[in-house]
Amino acid sequence: MTPLVLAFETSCDETAVAVVKGREVLSSILSSQVDLHARFGGVVPEVAARAHVEAIRPLTHRALVESGVHPADLDAVAATAGPGLVGALLVGHSFAKATAFARQLPFIGVDHMEGHLMAPRIEFDTFQPPAVVLLASGGHSQIIHARDWGEYQLMGETIDDAAGEAFDKLARLLGLGFPGGPEIDRAAEGGDPRAVSFPRAIPDRPYHVSFSGLKTSVSTYLRKTRRSGELPPLADVAASVQEAIVDALVDKTMRAVDDTGVKVLGAGGGVLANRRLRARLEEEAASRGVTLCLPAPALCTDNAAMIGVAAGHWLEKGHISDWAAPVDPGRRL
Amino acid sequence: MGLAPAGWFAVVRLLAIETATAQSAVALTLDRQVQATATRVDRTGHGTFLVPAIEFCLDQAGWFPDDLDAIVVDVGPGLYTGIRVGIATAQGLSAALGIPVVTASSLDAQALAASTGHRHIFSVVDVRRGELAVSTFRPVPGGVVRDSEAELMDPDQLRDVLMSDPGNPLVVGDVPALPDSVLRGQHRVKVGRPRYPAVRAVLEIGMSKLERDNFASEPLTPLYLREPDVNLNWEKLAPEDPWSSGS
Repeated sequence: MTPLVLAFETSCDETAVAVVKGREVLSSILSSQVDLHARFGGVVPEVAARAHVEAIRPLTHRALVESGVHPADLDAVAATAGPGLVGALLVGHSFAKATAFARQLPFIGVDHMEGHLMAPRIEFDTFQPPAVVLLASGGHSQIIHARDWGEYQLMGETIDDAAGEAFDKLARLLGLGFPGGPEIDRAAEGGDPRAVSFPRAIPDRPYHVSFSGLKTSVSTYLRKTRRSGELPPLADVAASVQEAIVDALVDKTMRAVDDTGVKVLGAGGGVLANRRLRARLEEEAASRGVTLCLPAPALCTDNAAMIGVAAGHWLEKGHISDWAAPVDPGRRL
Repeated sequence: MGLAPAGWFAVVRLLAIETATAQSAVALTLDRQVQATATRVDRTGHGTFLVPAIEFCLDQAGWFPDDLDAIVVDVGPGLYTGIRVGIATAQGLSAALGIPVVTASSLDAQALAASTGHRHIFSVVDVRRGELAVSTFRPVPGGVVRDSEAELMDPDQLRDVLMSDPGNPLVVGDVPALPDSVLRGQHRVKVGRPRYPAVRAVLEIGMSKLERDNFASEPLTPLYLREPDVNLNWEKLAPEDPWSSGS
């Protein structure tokens, strides 16, 4: 029987609650704190934790009502156990555990990155291991070889800033707002991605990426061109900056696909909402005859549906967490 | 004399959750009689302790979760993360069981359990970053009355306040964790118990509120006492817009 799971995600700045039945999403709602954090130019952990505690109960109510599921019919309750901000994680995790305990249901603590990794299953029947998965968000940039569900090899990751973090910092340099990804995406519209050739850092490991050098070179470039009065239009610079990040992610991901010989490529994480990155992955996958399983942007950014799907998978395998299960802010997949 | 309102004589099974300080505690009462308690001191262990402790207490009492009638939770002041773990757990239980939840303050719970006949009670809770939340109370027959709203002060300010108190103050809370300087030479000041908010006092406060307000839920607003600590680096956050100025 396909399990009916109530799932919570509070690892960062989104309070998210979902009801899923296996891979089917019955409701998935989200209260974003972007406006709260925008004036600080980044996510403030204490602000995030405070907002979660206010939002979680009303959101749960709404998620259940929208799903049409009676709480008595639930089979399990799940929550993100890490990685993430400890104070933020604890809100969803504690609420979920208490809900499960009250109704005497199994509780499943889910790895946030595995949630992103399994998100393509919601929309794609074809998303089956073995696969390579690109996970890129504000906190992580990883290329993972999924040999089977639960059997993941980290092929590469960022050696400094995560891709989303790089977008945030570069947006700031360009005088754009927070979060940087969507801001640069918008600013780059109509711009020429070849206008400025920013250097692509090539770490000596084949699937790793690095973004800190890009930050320095953009900063230097802006200062120089501004002084000489040769500053190109914002759209061109934004498009070029975006292209440098996208290039790095796409090159390394496709190298991993080629080297492993997998026929399935999945992707997730907030950075995958970037339109240029999506287009480039589509091109590259198509040219290789690889099946690209790239979820809709709303399933790439943080959401609770992906946590529910991952929890449903582990519930069916008989893996459940005990009541003393901790959160782990530094959890590694 | 008429009949008591319906439900007046019904037994009340109340769960108390207390995680506002380094201590985590859970207790159950049946009509104000304590059935089970569990306590642990671990300033980062609230999240791992709470649900197993509730399960343990329910087992001791021979109850199931849906036997509970109401919940009372300490909403601070104290450790932010602990407070939120307690509130989130209380919210989850309350929502899933459809039972009311009311709040208690850690300072009140310490003062109510303070052992004194006549002394002026200073209830003190560590709220990190070198600050203490302090409220003062007067003992009255059958309980205490709060004289002042919770106030934030550093240990030096607490020393000065104690020194200028005309009576014989009794300090309750985690006094052993305070710097020695606070009490040095203060011969009129007595250090009392409890060291942490007493879960039995939390139960007492909860039970009184439930009876007074006819089992209505209260909003679970954490008592943070200060705004989030955010270091704004405006220089870095708002660089000159490279495209806006003409130079």
